Amino acid sequence: MGIGSKVRRLALLAGMAACAFGISAAEAAGKHKIFLSMSYIGNDWQAEAANMVKAMAAHKSLADKVDLQVQVAGPNAQRQIQQINAMVQSGAEAIVVYPISPTALNQVVKNACDKGVKVFAYDAEITEPCAYNVHIDQLEAGRVTAEWLVKKLNGKGNIIAITGVPGTSVDDQRTKAAKEVFAKYPDIKIVGEAVGMWSQAVARTELSKILATRSWGDINGLWMQVGCFTANSMQLEAGKKASELLPCAGEGSNGGRIQMLPEGTKVEGAAPPYAPAGAQRISYASPPYSGALALKLAVEAIEGKDVPKTTILPLPVVTNETVKLCDEGTWAEMKAGCNAFKPSLVSNPGWFGSIFSDQTPEVGLNAALVGQPEN
Amino acid sequence: MNSAAGLTPVSAGFGLRRALMRNRGALIAAAVLAILLFIVDWISAGPLTYFDVSFLSSGGATSALAAIGQTIVILSGGFDLSAGAVISLVNVVLASSMDPMAPGASIVLWTAVGIGVGMAVGAFNGFFIAVLRMQPIVVTLSTMFILQGVTLLVMDKPGGFVSPDLGTFYLGDAITGWLPMPLVVIGVVLLAWFWLKGTRFGTALYAVGSDPDSAAAVGINVVLVRFAVYVIAGGCYGLAGVFISAQTGSADPLVGNPLLLSMFAAVVVGGTRLGGGQGGPVGTVFGAYILMMVVNILLVLNVSAYYATIAEGTILVLAALAGSISHASVLAVQLRAARARLTAWRAGILPAQLERVDRRLKIAEQSHGQHRAASPRPAFHLRNAETLRYALPAYVCLLLIVVVTQVWLGRAILNPGYWNSLLVLSSFLVVLALGQGTVILTGGLDLSVPWTIGISGIILAGMVNGSDAALLYALPVVLVMACAIGFANGFGIAYLGISPIVMTLATNGILQGFALVYSQGTPAGFSSPMLRWFMTARLGVVTPIVLLMIVFVISAVLLLGRTPFGRRVYGIGNGLRAARLSGIGVERTLILVYMLSAVCAAVVGIMLTGFSGQASLGMGDDYLLPSIAVVVVGGALITGGRGHYLGMLGGVLLLTALQMLLAGTTLPYATRAILYGLVVLGAVMALRERRLQ
Repeated sequence: MGIGSKVRRLALLAGMAACAFGISAAEAAGKHKIFLSMSYIGNDWQAEAANMVKAMAAHKSLADKVDLQVQVAGPNAQRQIQQINAMVQSGAEAIVVYPISPTALNQVVKNACDKGVKVFAYDAEITEPCAYNVHIDQLEAGRVTAEWLVKKLNGKGNIIAITGVPGTSVDDQRTKAAKEVFAKYPDIKIVGEAVGMWSQAVARTELSKILATRSWGDINGLWMQVGCFTANSMQLEAGKKASELLPCAGEGSNGGRIQMLPEGTKVEGAAPPYAPAGAQRISYASPPYSGALALKLAVEAIEGKDVPKTTILPLPVVTNETVKLCDEGTWAEMKAGCNAFKPSLVSNPGWFGSIFSDQTPEVGLNAALVGQPEN
Repeated sequence: MNSAAGLTPVSAGFGLRRALMRNRGALIAAAVLAILLFIVDWISAGPLTYFDVSFLSSGGATSALAAIGQTIVILSGGFDLSAGAVISLVNVVLASSMDPMAPGASIVLWTAVGIGVGMAVGAFNGFFIAVLRMQPIVVTLSTMFILQGVTLLVMDKPGGFVSPDLGTFYLGDAITGWLPMPLVVIGVVLLAWFWLKGTRFGTALYAVGSDPDSAAAVGINVVLVRFAVYVIAGGCYGLAGVFISAQTGSADPLVGNPLLLSMFAAVVVGGTRLGGGQGGPVGTVFGAYILMMVVNILLVLNVSAYYATIAEGTILVLAALAGSISHASVLAVQLRAARARLTAWRAGILPAQLERVDRRLKIAEQSHGQHRAASPRPAFHLRNAETLRYALPAYVCLLLIVVVTQVWLGRAILNPGYWNSLLVLSSFLVVLALGQGTVILTGGLDLSVPWTIGISGIILAGMVNGSDAALLYALPVVLVMACAIGFANGFGIAYLGISPIVMTLATNGILQGFALVYSQGTPAGFSSPMLRWFMTARLGVVTPIVLLMIVFVISAVLLLGRTPFGRRVYGIGNGLRAARLSGIGVERTLILVYMLSAVCAAVVGIMLTGFSGQASLGMGDDYLLPSIAVVVVGGALITGGRGHYLGMLGGVLLLTALQMLLAGTTLPYATRAILYGLVVLGAVMALRERRLQ
């Protein structure tokens, strides 16, 4: 990417800022008014999920039916409560929401349901029974990854655990399920544990702190909710060979997936550490397509189709045996089994790679990157 | 009564005007809120019904109640960072102790429990602040960490049960169809405040906030007033916690934390001056509702998601500006001064236009010379006694932590890797401490640090994209951009008279929006090999950045201690008016100070990009509170004027070493948070100001 395109992008930014306050006159007749209430969008996952929702709304199958407005509540549950209510008041037929809290929204969601508004929560859960939930089974995520790690270590070894955001249900369920597995193997010892906040940057800081008083040689494996890409990079920096990388159970970042490819694989745009290294990995994720799927289901629900209250998404798991490089990242290609993207297409290794669902042929790689639907 | 009113029309009119002047802040906040309500009503499809009003009133009630407490603390000259944590704690305490099977719940009992928990925390804060005379910001920061840990011990994930009776009561109608209950609750609290304000205690509160020394001199028991203030404020947070429990019917251990920053914004938008003595909770209530109304404004205007924080920041600045329109406002004063300068320039009597003649008295120089010859330089420890007293405790605690690490985890003192990690991990805060520290020395605060870091890293990574050559132009671009950010902050604060907290909070939001729009949600690019080498390679046992840090620390010490700029910074912090009268260009210096802070944040953004290999959105979020904490732990005074960079450096090393110790253990996060808070509190105990003899 040259400087020219960057400059253009900045100019575009200024122009868009100027017209951002334009009032939507699209009170188009016959379109379903649907709102998306996001929480904090200042992290990679949220932004990617938002792109996919926008792409879904722009897909030809929905573009004539849906008038989607995206709003951000920030990290404050109080504001999301008020926002959802304002959406109800302005005539929403459905509200797709990334809930800041699984419990704090219950009252306002119940109020919305009573007025006939369909409320769909994606990724995280709303415990109010009238809400529709679309998410993975977090307990399964914790269990499957922990079991993989135990098997890799033959039930014996010192491991480090990097968890997510403390105080959230998702972190609690994943960590508890994993620890239950580890507890069954007395020879598996968690020698270090840190809060990783689901961020590669934080994972790096925390791992550095742990390694200040330990060496890589004392550790046999890693269980991380986010951070395997970083952990592998750190081992390479510390002078380990690619073949000596510790087994790591962790997130579905594209950087991690590329590292899983056999060492020496030719990949366009790859540069260490964002390059094939044959790293022993299990890669799982809360898939960012869940918002897009929630929107699709919301339209179906408005149109009177029977939609189940809870949609448990299949846990996207990729191991060294199943990892496969995509050429362009179209939905059709992913359907055929590819699950990692070239660094020349996805330049950010922390970008989340689990974007495929056989229920969402409307969205592919371009949807996640720039919000463009498939044809 | 008729005759009395008839007899003194002039004084009555004067009294009314004085009352208006005194409550200007609150009145303007009320007007802004009315305008926002009108806009929402005007643009949205249907008319504003009672239901809307009722819902809006409950939406803003939690932050309004908590912000009332914060206002009282700020009026007394304090600062309370534990407010959000108290709300979370009350929320989980209520939800975990109510019995779902019980047929009903006593509203009085549970409200009392909530307020009681809040007051207990307030008493804890009050003890350390009032009795032990410790700085409010450190005490409440430590309390915040401790409470977050305790909250997670009570309930480690969202859940629990709050009786619907509470919700029916607090969210219902006081008069059906006319008056929603949340407004009544806020009204009752405000009435209690008016009663309190009229008592001797109320007068004492404002007196302590305006000038604690004078207050003590006229016989006010400053310790008691300060203690009571934190207890009362704790009660307000407790009530806010009860309200949010009623509103949500359950608990979430993280629910209160994000309320903290917007609470300060509500206080300032409501016309209360940070630093104490002026303003009141009525304006704060309007301020809190203004901030909540922003959500509805964004919705009716259909501002797209990426622009939300930009719009919010803009509204915040506009609201603060509206609140400061008056003859005495900084902006008006600046405009008058500019006009006077222009007139003087026309008349040719500006100092710069006058003949440059040395007008000093000759005698002064002689006596100065004699003085120097007469007294020998005092010993080092005497010259720097004060600096040492405030800076040393951080280093003593650091030593303790290192010893504990050695005993508990082994491999510390004799392990060069440990020291190298300590220095590398500290390097980010070492840089931030200079920027934030200088801002704090002038009595300000820079809250725009997180997204200055974020946007710098993102733009750098995008431009560099793995090429060392690109660093040559990417680094200057990012640093110039940081200068522009700092200039905007400084200009708003110095020339428009916007409070540093509001200005930098707004800038932070605007930068977040720009970062999102620029990256389209997915930051591209990655750091170049050279940058990575600086942050992660080893020259023997030392990472290159550590060598750079040594140079940085020396430059920072010289900058603050040996240059005219440094002296001006201390001058402004010790007294704005005195600084102005002694000929310091206050505005220019303030702008430079905020530019320095922004540049430091940008450097951290660049370093983090090198350290992590890529930039990510939100990468600076974890650095705001630590950047303030290290400065204060290092012995600086949050109100400005006192502090030494080497003390801050000690603070950085201490907190980093502590985190490394905790990370090496397998203690649960809740316990770590509590320990962290306790150690910070203990470290600062040694710093507390001794009672005046």
